[in-house]
Amino acid sequence: MLEVRELLVFYENMLALNNLTLRCAEGQVVGVFGANSAGKSTLMYAVSGILLDIAYKEKVRGGERITQFGEILYEGEPVGHLKAFQRARRGLVLCPERRRLFPECTVIENLKIGGYLATRAQVRETLEFVLELFPRLQELRRRQAGFLSGGEQQMVAIGRALMAQPRLLLLDEPLLGLAPSIQHDVMQAVPKIRSERGVTVIVAEQYARPVLPYVDYAYIVENGSTVLEGTRQELLDNPDVRAAYLGGMG
Amino acid sequence: MDIVIYGFIQSVALLLMAFGFSLVYGVSRLPNFAHGALYVLTGFVAWAFVNRAGWPYPLAVVGALAVAGLAGLLLYQFVLKRIRGMEMSEVIASYAIGLAILEGLRWWGFRGGTHALPTVSDGVAFLFDVPVDHQRLLVVGVGAALLVGIWAYTRFSKAGLALRAIAQDERAAMMLGIDSDRTGMLAVALGSALAGLAAVVIFPLGSIVIEEGYKVLIYALAVCVVGGLGSWVGTVLASFLLGFAQYVTVAYGKPHYQMVVMLLAIVVTLVVRPSGLFGRQKSLEERV
Repeated sequence: MLEVRELLVFYENMLALNNLTLRCAEGQVVGVFGANSAGKSTLMYAVSGILLDIAYKEKVRGGERITQFGEILYEGEPVGHLKAFQRARRGLVLCPERRRLFPECTVIENLKIGGYLATRAQVRETLEFVLELFPRLQELRRRQAGFLSGGEQQMVAIGRALMAQPRLLLLDEPLLGLAPSIQHDVMQAVPKIRSERGVTVIVAEQYARPVLPYVDYAYIVENGSTVLEGTRQELLDNPDVRAAYLGGMG
Repeated sequence: MDIVIYGFIQSVALLLMAFGFSLVYGVSRLPNFAHGALYVLTGFVAWAFVNRAGWPYPLAVVGALAVAGLAGLLLYQFVLKRIRGMEMSEVIASYAIGLAILEGLRWWGFRGGTHALPTVSDGVAFLFDVPVDHQRLLVVGVGAALLVGIWAYTRFSKAGLALRAIAQDERAAMMLGIDSDRTGMLAVALGSALAGLAAVVIFPLGSIVIEEGYKVLIYALAVCVVGGLGSWVGTVLASFLLGFAQYVTVAYGKPHYQMVVMLLAIVVTLVVRPSGLFGRQKSLEERV
């Protein structure tokens, strides 16, 4: 589904991603874990194509020089040159860090904007799925998205990304700032998205613990490279992982 | 009563002049300084369609609006797109093009007060015993229709929702498959057509002169700065604030102080409250 080969990203002279290689098969849920500034978000931006826009805008402004090397293959084809909206059209959709809802629009409008690429029938059918997935959104339909709580916003953000009819959904720090019980509500959606929509999911998260039960395979990223990878069980059994990322699980 | 009615009409006229500018800036952060020139251009194109080509007036209006939209589209495609993100260049390039259009028209022979568009009717209606000519009622009607139209367009149509999405968070919109270049082009074309719409309803009240182009640009800037650049609600409220201020100045002072009111409004706003009455809702952004 997705293959990232030896991805290098520089912000000026700072190395953000260092020969990062990652693979995700169709139908899998893959986790990417790492501390802040390990390169998770840069990876997500590079894969979704947003990094190209960031690099272009920085160049125009005369700001930071951002350079990118390596290959990104999506469904077997290189997509590294495609703009973000073109990748979204192919079904590669990012649900970004900090959610980035359209704050002045209502919940239902946010979801409808998500369905920009979808047909009328798809919009209707996906909307039904999203409201079933997150029943809380039902009563918030007409509320302004900017005034929702963090958990509610995250639900809208995931719903909005689903409306774009993804085949590969990238979730960047979906649990950031959420209370444990809400984290659980959000993560519970992931297996349903996979089984009922046939969507492959990559979850980037700082803490592995709330996410690990839901993944098939995971990578651990440090200083811009993957330092460890394995199936869920392999990571659970690895004493280093337990110490560093699953603290307190004994 | 005069003040209420004529102040209201003046406000709606201002809103018509400013809305296209506000729309373009709100969606694509492009200050379209050719706005006033497109306004005048549409007036002359409509005039030429009626008087040179002999088209019936309604057809001439539709044709002129199409020309305005197309001019905006070309302006975006060939100039603004390439310099997007460099604010200074955006201002200079669009202003230069505006100058070229206005002075080009002057050179072409469109000068003096001899060009005028026909009014819809010469009749006069009485509102609370105040005489108001039909053309001014049309200005109010078109202004109201514009607000309703834009409101419905940005709420119920896909392209309109995409405009609002890009206006609020360009990158988040890109992630959902919205092409920001195409949306920007649509916004500039739509904004130019709105400048044209203002021209074809307001010009029949007087004659078409080049200087109106500069005036409209300054009026549009004043309304947008006072209302908060990019805020559509702010644009509407500022139109009314400044429209009444202008009318009061005309009624109790001298007509040529109108421009002073506008320029003063820009300066005072920038000093006291640079983000305008309804600058982008910063308070919402940092909520987690």
